[in-house]
Amino acid sequence: MESFLQHPAVQGGVAPFVAGLIVAALLGRARLGGLAVAAGYAVAIALVSGIAFSPLTALRKIALLALAAPLAGIAIDFALRSGRALALVVAAICGGLTIWVFWSVLQHKAPGEAALLGGGAALYVAWLVAATMTLSAEPVRAGAAALVLGLGTGISAILAASALLGLYGIGLAAGAGGFLLWQMVTGRRIAAGATLTLSAAVAGGLFGAAALFLAKLPWHVPIVLALVPLAARLPVPARFPIWAQAILLSVYCFVLAVIAFLLTSQGVAPPA
Amino acid sequence: MHLKLAATTLALALPLAAGAEPVTYEIDPDHTFPHFMVQHLGVSWMHGRFNKTSGKLVLDRAAKTGSVEVTIETASVDTGTHELRGRTRTRDEHLRTADFFNVQEFPTMTYKGSAKWSGEWPSEVQGQLTLLGVTRPVNLKVDGFGCAPDPRMKGKREVCGANASGSFMRSDFGMKFAIPGVSDEIRLQVQFEALRPL
Repeated sequence: MESFLQHPAVQGGVAPFVAGLIVAALLGRARLGGLAVAAGYAVAIALVSGIAFSPLTALRKIALLALAAPLAGIAIDFALRSGRALALVVAAICGGLTIWVFWSVLQHKAPGEAALLGGGAALYVAWLVAATMTLSAEPVRAGAAALVLGLGTGISAILAASALLGLYGIGLAAGAGGFLLWQMVTGRRIAAGATLTLSAAVAGGLFGAAALFLAKLPWHVPIVLALVPLAARLPVPARFPIWAQAILLSVYCFVLAVIAFLLTSQGVAPPA
Repeated sequence: MHLKLAATTLALALPLAAGAEPVTYEIDPDHTFPHFMVQHLGVSWMHGRFNKTSGKLVLDRAAKTGSVEVTIETASVDTGTHELRGRTRTRDEHLRTADFFNVQEFPTMTYKGSAKWSGEWPSEVQGQLTLLGVTRPVNLKVDGFGCAPDPRMKGKREVCGANASGSFMRSDFGMKFAIPGVSDEIRLQVQFEALRPL
């Protein structure tokens, strides 16, 4: 069993997917199916590097915020009136927290570079949060966005030299895959809410920013991945069954992921 | 000539005299390389080293005490693979990411320790390694410690050096990625030299 759980495909793919599927199936009726995404990356983090918070490194701050995000999402879904203003406030907070996450890296850099990198990463995470939260009421679109944000970030991170961040991202995608698959199989939508969208945006955004800071992800790749929530808004025929809508929306988004992979491959490898 | 030799011998012998003070030596970065060995896939032990090291060695030969402080630049890790071989990154680039040494967040690791003596020279260092923000005890066995006039400087400089070896578990420092494919146990073999002008 131990060697099974130590296999990267299990740590980043199989186990997070199963966790996401189970959460979506068990908690969907309670409007908590969106926890599938958090279940996916939480399982990946636990299996790949373990959950620990001391010393509080950048990666552990990311894990902390990624685990706090679904709780904040539940609070928003059940206690607050979600809307554009709230999304902007939450996005601004997440942008500020991004600076906190990477402060230990930024302080080693020249002030100008630190401001550019820190500001860029904060803007990236804030944008993802604001843009993805607008999908909260549309579970198929939200699931497709989370799936491709995780996959795009994860595979790009692997190409950018960090398999660890890659498995985190793929874990996110696997959890979203479980959330989507349950809807595709049952033919019924289950609530995504901020529980899903905030989790996916915070985790996906911070995994991507970490690949930028702590690995070799080219700076322009997050710009492409930032378009994923917009691609998830593209039209799909309303008469299509849920499974077809989910596939079509995922394909829309996946085009951006492929561009991210190509840019990462070219940006990381030195010219011949 | 005889006068020079006598002066050099006297200079080297001074610290040995009763009441000698601790003497500080600067680590010679050109002759100090922390090497590490890690088992890959349970089969072979891969070797790597860090190319940039600085620090100091303090010896009090009369009191038979001593200490060492070494700072290692983590980005200088070098396992000898500089070819991409169809990949988008080299092994050293992977080692520099957050998967292993996380060099952007932790540009250095440090080792501080005090020497235990056996006879005329130190034979062990009991120290603390700080890696990835975590400090844990790591003891090193010292072989062949010795000091001598540096012939390159015609006796105007003294050089001390030895080989030290030890091991630790990287998971103790939070470096858990890819265990057990890349072993938890890290073996160390450090060659070092330290200099002081006479």
